[in-house]
Amino acid sequence: MADVQIAERTRRRHKGITFQRALPYLLSLPALLVCIGILIPFITAIFYSLQRYNLAFPDARAFIWFGNFVALAQDPAFWHTVLVSLEYTALTVGVELLLGLGIALLLQERNWINDTISVLLILPLMVAPAIAALMWKLMTNPNFGVLSYLVSLAGVPDFKWASSPGSAMFTVVLVDTWVYTPFITILLLAGLRALPKQPFEAAELDGVPWTFVFFRITLPMLTPYILTATLFRMLDSMQQFDIIYSMTQGGPGDTLTVFQVQAYLEAFSFSNIGRSAALVIVLWAITYALSTVFIKNWLKLRAKARGAS
Amino acid sequence: MSNVLLRRTIRGVLLTLVVLFFLFPMFWVLLMSFQTNRDILRTPPSLFFTPTISNYVALISGEIQTSVGTLPVDYMKNLWNSALLSACAVALSLLLGVPAAYAFARFKFRLGEDIAFTLLSFRFAPPILVLLPLQLYFQDIGLYDTYFGLVWVYQLITLPLILWIVRGYFEDISPDIEHAYRLDGHSWFKSLWKIAIPLARPGIAAAGLLAFIFAWNSFIFALVLGSSDVQPVTVGSLAFMTASGIQYGTIAAALVLSIIPTLVLALYTQRYLVEGLSLGAVKG
Amino acid sequence: MSSRKQKELVKAYYDNNIGRRELLQRMAQLGVGAAATGVLLNAAATDALAASGPDFKKFQGKGIRLLLNKHPYVDAMAKNLDNFKSMTGLKVTYDIFPEDVYFDKVTTALASKGSQYDAFMTGAYQTWKYGPARQIVDLNQYIKDPKYTSPDYNWNDVTEGLRKSDAWDGKAGSELGGPGAKQWAIPWGFELNNVAYNKRILGELGIEPPKNLPDLIEKAAKISAAGKGYYGVGVRGSRSWATIHPGFLSAYANYGQKDFVVKGGKLTPAMNTKESKEFHKMWIDMIQRGGPKNWTTYTWYEVGNDLGAGNSAMIFDADILGYFQNNGTKEAGNIVYLPFTANPAVDKPTPNVWIWSLAMSEFSKMKEAAWFFIQWATGTQNTNFGAVNADLVDPVRDSVWKVPEFQARLEKSYPGYLNQFQKSIGQSRIYFTPQQLFPEFTTDWAAMLQQMYAKQIPIDEGLDKLAAGLERKLREVGI
Repeated sequence: MADVQIAERTRRRHKGITFQRALPYLLSLPALLVCIGILIPFITAIFYSLQRYNLAFPDARAFIWFGNFVALAQDPAFWHTVLVSLEYTALTVGVELLLGLGIALLLQERNWINDTISVLLILPLMVAPAIAALMWKLMTNPNFGVLSYLVSLAGVPDFKWASSPGSAMFTVVLVDTWVYTPFITILLLAGLRALPKQPFEAAELDGVPWTFVFFRITLPMLTPYILTATLFRMLDSMQQFDIIYSMTQGGPGDTLTVFQVQAYLEAFSFSNIGRSAALVIVLWAITYALSTVFIKNWLKLRAKARGAS
Repeated sequence: MSNVLLRRTIRGVLLTLVVLFFLFPMFWVLLMSFQTNRDILRTPPSLFFTPTISNYVALISGEIQTSVGTLPVDYMKNLWNSALLSACAVALSLLLGVPAAYAFARFKFRLGEDIAFTLLSFRFAPPILVLLPLQLYFQDIGLYDTYFGLVWVYQLITLPLILWIVRGYFEDISPDIEHAYRLDGHSWFKSLWKIAIPLARPGIAAAGLLAFIFAWNSFIFALVLGSSDVQPVTVGSLAFMTASGIQYGTIAAALVLSIIPTLVLALYTQRYLVEGLSLGAVKG
Repeated sequence: MSSRKQKELVKAYYDNNIGRRELLQRMAQLGVGAAATGVLLNAAATDALAASGPDFKKFQGKGIRLLLNKHPYVDAMAKNLDNFKSMTGLKVTYDIFPEDVYFDKVTTALASKGSQYDAFMTGAYQTWKYGPARQIVDLNQYIKDPKYTSPDYNWNDVTEGLRKSDAWDGKAGSELGGPGAKQWAIPWGFELNNVAYNKRILGELGIEPPKNLPDLIEKAAKISAAGKGYYGVGVRGSRSWATIHPGFLSAYANYGQKDFVVKGGKLTPAMNTKESKEFHKMWIDMIQRGGPKNWTTYTWYEVGNDLGAGNSAMIFDADILGYFQNNGTKEAGNIVYLPFTANPAVDKPTPNVWIWSLAMSEFSKMKEAAWFFIQWATGTQNTNFGAVNADLVDPVRDSVWKVPEFQARLEKSYPGYLNQFQKSIGQSRIYFTPQQLFPEFTTDWAAMLQQMYAKQIPIDEGLDKLAAGLERKLREVGI
C-alpha cells in the first residue's frame, strides 16, 4: 500500500520536475518558431552571395564560391565602406549614449515638468528617419533653411552642412542624434526609475558626494540597461540607410558610402544581386561579432550585479 | 542652500537647451504644416505668414490642389495601414516575447542563452539581405500583399527588441516575492501574470512603445511585399514629391498626422513608464 | 451618358467640321466643362478605335494590373480610364507608388518573376537592365500585327528620335533604334534639356540671355557675384545618374564628346579625352563660380524650387522643370525658355532626353490585353487632349505639337517654350551609348564630379581614374 502511495507521489513529482524542465522551452520556443522562418530567405541570400548573379547578365549566372568576397577584399572602396560605417557607428552611439544618459539623469525626478518633457522628447523618434532627413535637408538649405539662416546670423555664413565632404559626416550624425537619442533616453529613464530607492536614501543620509553616488551606485546599477540600449543602437547604426541615403545618397564623392547604402545601390540600381548579398553578409558577420562581445560582457555584468545585491 | 539653487538653475538651463534642440525642428514642422509651399520656399525664412489649413484638408479629404490640377491622395488609408500593422505586430510580439523573456530571466536552462542570442541575431540582418528571396517565397506561399504576411515579417523588427528589453526588467526584479507567492501554492503562470508582469510594467511599456515606433517607421518590407493597398505612412508621405515639385506643406501636415497615433500611445504608456515605486520596497 | 446634342458635336469635331475652340465653346453652352469634354472626346475616339480593326473585346471580363509612378500623366490617364474599360470590357487596376521608391518597386517586382503587374511605367535607361535581363517584352511583335494594333495607332507619328531611343538590340555599344533593335518600351511623355531663365533677374542686371556655354558661365558668375542673394545657374549635382543625363550630357554631346567609343572592337570609356577634360573644367568652373552653394545635394526638386522662388537666374535642365515653375510660384510669369547650343562652334542644340514610357512585363499572363492598354494610353487621341487642356508636356507625337490650340496655349503662358522645342526636337534623342552598366557608370561619373568640385582630386587625374575604373568594370562582365 505504502509502496503504491510512494510510487504515486514520486511519479507526480517526476511529472512536476519534467514539466518544470520543459517550461522554459515552452515559453521561449514559440517566439523562436515564429522567427525561424527567416532562415530560409537568409540561406538563399548566402546562396546568392556565392554566385556571380547580375540580373542584366542572366547567361553569366554561375557559382563562383568566394569570388565575390575576394573581389570585395581587393576593392579599396570596400575597405572605405568598412571604415566609414565603423566611424559613423562609433560617433552616433557615443554621442547618443552620453546625451541620452545626461537627459535621463536630468529628468529622473518625478514632477509634472519632467513628465511632460519626457513624453515630448519622444517626438523626434516618432518621425520616420527618411522623413526626418527630408525635413533636415530643407532646414539646412542655404536659401530656404531656417537652420542655415540662424547659423548665418550667428556669424557662420555659408555652412555647407551635408554638401561638403568636410561637414557631411557631422550633419548626418547630427540628424541621427536628433532622431535616436530619445530611444536611449526612454530606456535609461525607465531604468533609473526602476532602481531601488534604498541605496540613494542611505547615501544622502550619510552625506556622500554626488560624484561618488553617480559613479559607484547609479552607473553600475544602470549598466545593464546602458548595454541593452547601446547594443540596439549599435546594431541600427551599422545598418543605417534612410538618413544617409535621403541626405546625400552616399556622397559627396565617397564620403558616406556606408554598408547599406552600397548594398542598396548594388542590388537595386546595379542589379548585382551576388555582390550585394556578399556585402550584406560581411555586414552581418561584423554585427554578429560585435554583438557576441557585447552580450558576453552583458552577462558578466549581470552576474556581478546580482552577486553584489 | 545656494548649492541646491545653483544645481537647480544649471538643471533648468540644460533642460531648456535639450528641449530646444529636440523640439525646435518639430515646432518648425508644425508651422510648415500650416503654410503654403510659396511661404515655405522663401528666402530668408520667416516666422510670419498667413496660416492655412489647406494641407490638412487635402490629406483628410483625399484631394490635393497642385499647379497641374487636382490629384487624389490616399493618406488616410496609409495611416490605417500603419496603425493596423504596427499594433498587430506589437501585440503578437508581446504575446510571444514576454513569456520568453520571463523564461530567460528566471530559468537557467540549457540552450537558453543560445536561443536568446539567436532571437537577437535576427536584428543583425538588414532587410536588404532577405528582401528578394523573401518576396519570391511569399509569392509562392500566397502571403504576398497580405496583412498577415507583413505582421509576420514585422516580428523581425519588434520581437528581438521586446524580448531583450523586457528580459532586463524581469532580471532586475528580485525573485523573492515570486518565491513567496509560489510557496503559497500558486502556479508559475499566476506568478508571472500577477507578480512579475505588474512589477516589470515600466519595461514592458517602454519596450512596447519603442517596438511600436520602429514598426511604424519601417517601410521597406511593406514596399516590396505588398501592393498599394497595404502601404504605410512613410511611403504615403513620399507621394508628395512629384515632378511638379515637393509639397513641403503637405508633407509637414502628413508628418503631424502620422505622429498623433504614436503620441497617443506614448501618453497612455507614460503612466506605466513612471511606475516602479514598489520595487524599492522589495530590494535591499 | 452624353446627350444626342453632345454626341453630334463630338462627331462634328472628328469630321473636321468644327474646330476645337468652337467645340469647347458649344460644349460649355450645353453645360459641359473642358475636362468632361475631354472624357467625351476620348469616349468617341475610343469608340472609333474600337471599330477600327483589332478585336478589342477579346479579353472581356478579364483583368490587367498596372504599376505606375505618381505623375501627372497617370492622373490624366486615370480620368479617361473608363473609356478604355468600356472599349475592351477589361477590369483595370493599378498601383501607384511615389517616384522616390517607384523604381525600387519595379525592380523587385520584375526580379521576383511575379505576374502581379502586366504593364508599367519606365524610362529608357532602365530598360537597358530589364531588357537584357529578359524581364520585358519586345513590343515590335504587337506594333506590326494588325490583329492587335489599329491602323489609327500611327506609330510613325511618334517622334523618330524618341521611338529609336526606346529601342535597343541588347548588344553593348549598338546604335539605339538600329537594325535588329527590340522595342522595349513605348514613349508616353518626354523631357528635353535646355535653358530656362528668369527675365526679371536678367533684366535687373542688364544681362542678355546666354548664347552658349562659355557665355553662360561668365554670365552666371556675374549674377552670383552681384551679391543680391541669388546665384547664376542651377544644375543637378547629386550622386546619381540624374546628375549626368540632363544639361550636362546635352552640353557634352554638343561639344562632340561621347561617353564610350569602340576601340579595337571593344567598348572603351571616352570621358578622358583632351576635349572632354576641357569640357569638365568648364562645367566645374561654372558650378563653382555661378552655381548653387550646396550643389552636391541638388536634385530635380532643388533646381526647380530655386528657379521658382527667385533664388537662381537660370537653370540648365529639363524643359518641363522650368514649365512647372511658371505656375503657382513666386516667379510665375517671369520664366522664359531658350534653345541652348552649348558649343559656340555648333549651330543647333543637341538635347539629351528622358522618356517616360510604358513597358510590358515578360511574366504577365495577359500580354495582349496589356498591349491594348499601352496602345490606347499612347494613342493620338489620349495624349492629344491632355496636352491641350492639361499639363501633359512634352507630348511625344509630332501631330500634337502642330495642333493650333496647343501652340496658342504655350505661346500665351510659356514664352519661348514652343520655339525651344521646335529648334531642338530634330536633334533630341538619347546620347548615351547603351550598355548594361549604365547605372554603375553614371553613379561613378557623378561621384567623380563631386570629388572634382570639392577639389579632392584634379580634373585630369579624376577623369583618367574614372575611365580606367569603368573600363575594368566593363571587361569584368565581358563587354
